[in-house]
Order: sequence, then structure tokens, then C-alpha cells
Amino acid sequence: MPIIHYLVAALTLAVLFAVFFIVPPAEGLGNYVRLAFFHIPVAWVSVLAFLLSAWWGQKVLRHHDMTADAKSAVSARLGFIFTVLATLSGAVFSKLTWGSYWNWDPRQTTIFVLLLIYGAYLTLRMAMPDRERRAKVSAVYALFSFLTVPFLVFTIPRLYFSLHPQPVLNASGHIDMDPVFLWTLIASLVDMTLIYWGLLHHGVHGHGNKKIGKDGASA
Amino acid sequence: MIEITFEDVCAAYGERTIFSGLSKRIPGGRITAVTGENGSGKSTFLRLAGHLLRAHEGKVSVCVDGQELRQAELRSHLAMVTPELRFYSYLTARENMEFLLGLRGITLTDAMYQDGLRQVGLSEEKLEGKYAGAFSTGMRQRLKLAVLFLSGADIWLLDEPGANLDTAGKTMVLQAARKAADAGKLVLLATNDSGEEAAADDTICL
Amino acid sequence: MIPSAFEGARIILRKELRISFRQQAGWCAMLMFALTTLACVSLSLTGGVLEPKLQAALLWVILFFASMAGADRGFADEDMAGTLPALRLYGASQGVLWGKTAYTFFLLLALALFTVPLYLIFLDVIVVNAVWLWGTVVAGLAGLAIAGTLLGALATGASVRGGLFTVLMLPVILPVFLPAIALTGAAFGGEEASASYLLGIVLYDLVLGVAASLLFDYLWYED
Repeated sequence: MPIIHYLVAALTLAVLFAVFFIVPPAEGLGNYVRLAFFHIPVAWVSVLAFLLSAWWGQKVLRHHDMTADAKSAVSARLGFIFTVLATLSGAVFSKLTWGSYWNWDPRQTTIFVLLLIYGAYLTLRMAMPDRERRAKVSAVYALFSFLTVPFLVFTIPRLYFSLHPQPVLNASGHIDMDPVFLWTLIASLVDMTLIYWGLLHHGVHGHGNKKIGKDGASA
Repeated sequence: MIEITFEDVCAAYGERTIFSGLSKRIPGGRITAVTGENGSGKSTFLRLAGHLLRAHEGKVSVCVDGQELRQAELRSHLAMVTPELRFYSYLTARENMEFLLGLRGITLTDAMYQDGLRQVGLSEEKLEGKYAGAFSTGMRQRLKLAVLFLSGADIWLLDEPGANLDTAGKTMVLQAARKAADAGKLVLLATNDSGEEAAADDTICL
Repeated sequence: MIPSAFEGARIILRKELRISFRQQAGWCAMLMFALTTLACVSLSLTGGVLEPKLQAALLWVILFFASMAGADRGFADEDMAGTLPALRLYGASQGVLWGKTAYTFFLLLALALFTVPLYLIFLDVIVVNAVWLWGTVVAGLAGLAIAGTLLGALATGASVRGGLFTVLMLPVILPVFLPAIALTGAAFGGEEASASYLLGIVLYDLVLGVAASLLFDYLWYED
């Protein structure tokens, strides 16, 4: 395990170095663009954690797998934190570039909804005293609320005006980005995903989350 | 033939383990009593037997002629009398019975209704026009038994069925249980009453 | 013998209606809650003129919060009265789910028939397109009824009651809520809204229905 820890630490340092010393200031955004290498990976993990939480929820329901419940719970907790970080970094970025912290941009709205779902999921977990029932109802809620995502992605951009930059992969399938930029972004995405994965593992099996870990292990 | 098997079953409420490593075979055609002091898990045992609760560890299987029953199919074989069952207090006795039996696909006819009441010693006039919320505890207990008898279920899970009943009522329950067992049904009886325990063919002490 | 889901739903619905007409306190509480929400909004706006989009948004906020007092009734009432174990023992899952959903839909429809006309009067709203308005209300409430029934079943057994249901509902109902506001705004003479929004709501209702049907079995059975 420690080897991986060192690798992740090395990758993180490399990404930080690239972000602050290699990536050139972007046209229009200047040095603020460096924040994107934190904001985009964090937002990506927010969505990934939700997807995985629902995936493990499905396992809980189908196989009564209590380890999957522990994973689902830890993933949702991490997802909540990452969503808060994504929202905050987005708001700061928005203030620096467009002049206001919040403007109900489609993607701000989507991440806010994600925050609401995570909050509801975690509240539900806390409100359920019985362990078996908690595993079951939170799995059902994770899957049920997961349905909203494709609809929101479809609806919200039609209802709100966007200031967000074009997606990296635009409609024509071209990647319209400086190679240094692109590789740093990919490295930071991989790095953040590994950090999430490490924290998840630590949360489920390590000391980070005694209660949930024990519940999971005893089943 | 109906049969319930417990294989190495462990039951727990939160942190508290109620029993563990329990393996039992409960055959149809007999009355099996489940005894034990308060908190030993008699009611839990019954709920596990009917798959109304999942075993923490181990497996409980309910088989009819070697075929394992699950979900809706299993429930349609089940009937229970337990303190936790309640009737709808804004429905009359007949409406309650009609509703619960209707969910099992049984249409309650006048004859069935009268027959059910007669078996449990309730008089039709006394129930007429009254909501279940106004019934005494004993009347409710008898009504639960009437639903059980009319449901035609072949797994009877009885939790203290004699509670709140007079001597005649207790005798009636045991006679009915005996008749059901003779007809091949599986009767599981959680009790602390020595009379009920004595009437059973087998005893599981928790 | 297990009756069909349709027959089961019919039996459940009949029972719910029978009880709800005998226990009038439930109706009173629900309608008074709606009236209070409505009064709160219209009193605080006395005399102000709102543009159609805001009128639509306020209507849906009122409908959402007013329906929170009714949308979970299907299971919350049973949970409170302690009748859930009997229902679980005798009822098959799909009949219970759809019977309760039908009842919830009926409650919400009654609520809307009471709230919407009063809202139109109090806020002096001009309805340009009544078909759009009621089409949106019916499609939106169907979504609320389906999600409310499943999430109401989910919330039974929770140690905290107040607020939990609303917290669970909001994110799930947003894909209905947001296009419904746009459509209602158009019905009040505001910006045009595409008919595809209505189609989107109906589609989402269907998706919720399929998901509720699949997931409810896991809640209802332990094996």
C-alpha cells in the first residue's frame, strides 16, 4: 500500500509543479486559469463519487452486501466534501473572472442540485437507526435520485444562460486545447481520482471511519 | 409438505446479538413452541421464520414440497397473530377483514364472515357499525385470529396468541392450532404460557 | 392466490378513500396548510404586480410546499397508526405501491383544485392558456405523487420526521419543477415555452414510475 501512497504524493507534487511553473497564463483568464486544474478534477470526482455510490447501492440491494453499503456511505461523504470544494472553487473562479460569486449558471445549478442530493442522502442515513434498514433505504435513495441527473443535464442548460467555457471536447470532436494544458489537466484528473480512491479505501477499511468500517466488516 | 429450516442463523438488533449459530428444522403438521425468557428473541424468531426480517448471518428457508418460497409467494402462505399487528381504527371489523383478505385474493362472503366470527366467539351484533378503534384488546385479539383462520394460510406464526383472552378463548386457540397442525399446516407458537407450551409437539428453547 | 397488481391497487385505493373520508381532520389539515402557504405569499405581496415568470415560480413553490403535507400520507399515516406490519403481511408490493400512488395523486389533485383557482384570484393572474396550465399541473403532480409515495415509504422508520421527507423530495422533483415553471409562465402570458418541456415532464414521470416499481420490491420484501 505505501508504494501507492508515495506514487500519489509524487504525482500530486508533479501536478502542482506543472500548474504553477509550466502552464502558461491563458488568454483572457490570465493566471486565474491555474484554479481550473483544481476545480475541474474536484467537480469530476463529485460526479464520480455519486455514480459509484449508486453503483454500490445497487449491490446492497441485489446481494445484501454490507461492505458495499459502507463503500456507498463513505463515497457519498467524500462526494459531499468534493462537491462543496467544487462549488466554492467555482464560485471564486466566477468572482475573479465574471465579477460575481453566484449567477445560476447551468453548471452551478447542476452542482448545487448534486449538493442537495448528497445532503439528503447523508441526512437519511443519519435518521435511520436500524442498520439493515439504513443500508436498504439509502441504496434505494441513491439509485432513485440518480435518475434526476440525465434530466437535469438536459433541462437546465435550456433554462439558464451559461457563462461557462465550452466543454473540452467540443461538438466537432476536436480537442481544442494547448497540449501542455491538456496533459496537465489529464494528470490532475488522474491524481484527484486516485486521491478519492485512496480516501475511500481508508474510510472503509482504515481508522478514518470506525463506525461504518465496523458495520461493514461485521456483516 | 411445508418446512422451515434455520441454518446457522444469527439475529442482532444494532449492536446487541440476540442469538447466534441457531440451526433448526420446523416441520409442517406439528405445533412447535418457541420459549425463552423476555428478550430472548421469540418474536424475532417468528419474524425470521416468515422472512419479515433478514437474518444477520445464516439462512432461513421456507419450502413447500422441496420448492423454496420467496417474496410475494411466501407471504401468501403466511398468517400471523402478533401484538404488533394493528387494525385500521376507522374501518369496521368487517371492512378490516374484507381489506386484508381481499389483498390475498379472498372475497369475504356473508357466510365466511359469520363463520369466522363464530369460530373466535365474537357476536355480529356487538361489532355492527363499530370502528375497530373502539374495540377492546380482547376483541381485537379475536379479530386477528378470525383473519388468520379465514386466510387459509398454511404457515401460522402465533406470538402469545392467548394474550388478553379468557380461559375459553385460550382453549379455542389451542384447539384451532391442533386442528390446523392435523391438516398439515405449520404452527409456530411463541409463548411463555405453560398451558400453551404443553399443547405443543416440539419445543425450541431460546 | 395472489391477486393481480391492478386488483391489489384497487383494493388499497378503496380503503384509503374510505378512511380519508371518515377521518376529515387529515383533509382539514392539508387544505388549511395550503391556504396558509397561499395567504403567506399573497399577503406579503399585497398590491405588487409580478411578471408571469415570477407568478409561475410562486405558484409552484406554493404547490410544492403545500403538497409536502399530503404527498407522503400514503405511508406516513400507516406508520403512525402502526398498521404497516399488517399491510406488509397481507399486501403484495406492486398493488400497495400503485394503490398508494393513485391515492396520493388524488389527494394532490384535490389540493391543486383548491389552491390554483384561489391563487389566480388572489394574485390577479391572467391565464392565457388554460390547457397548458392544467396539463402542466396534472403532469407535475403525477411526478410528485410517484416520487412522494416511494420516498414516503423510504422515510418510514426514521428517527427524525419533520423535514426529512421534504429534503428527500426536492432534488428528485427538480426535473419536474423547473420545466413546470417555464410552462406555467408561458400559460400566464410570459415568454413562450417549448412543448417539449411538457413531454419532458411526462417522460420523467414515466421514468420515476418504472424506477419506483423496481425499487419498491426491495423495500417491501426482506428476501
